[in-house]
Amino acid sequence: MDPSSLDTAELQRFLSQEKERAMMNEMVAKLTSVCWDKCITSTLGSKFSSGESACLSNCGQRYLDLSLIIMKRIQSMQ
Amino acid sequence: MDFSSMASQAGGSNPKMPTEKFMDHFKSQMEQAYAQKFIELGGKCFDKCVTKPGSSLGGSESSCVSRCVDRYIEATGIVGRALFKANQ
Repeated sequence: MDPSSLDTAELQRFLSQEKERAMMNEMVAKLTSVCWDKCITSTLGSKFSSGESACLSNCGQRYLDLSLIIMKRIQSMQ
Repeated sequence: MDFSSMASQAGGSNPKMPTEKFMDHFKSQMEQAYAQKFIELGGKCFDKCVTKPGSSLGGSESSCVSRCVDRYIEATGIVGRALFKANQ
């Protein structure tokens, strides 16, 4: 395919959206892996215990808090 | 992830592919790549379910793996929602 045919504004917008979607999916996948290890420590049932699902949800939110703290810290060092 | 080369490849050998067709091709390639990521969860479920590898997968190991896949997909949803809810 001729790469110059990718130059339309519409395609650039599309690719930029897809790129963002891919980055978000990547982040969720990595975080799920980390949170799974932290939260799902006992034998697997046919559904999560309320403790396990709360842990997974908390894990995601705490990670966001952490990211914010790190960003602020780095900004304050500049 | 090199988007420009993925995008060129999605167009295939057609020098000027109609936009919509290209977008569909590209999206389905992205979906395939995402599905590949889920194969990684094989590692997690192996750890959880196959504690003493035998000469074949036993019944309880197989059902554990089934449950594990379901739970892992569910976990992805829970974590994903936690990330996006907090952003609002």
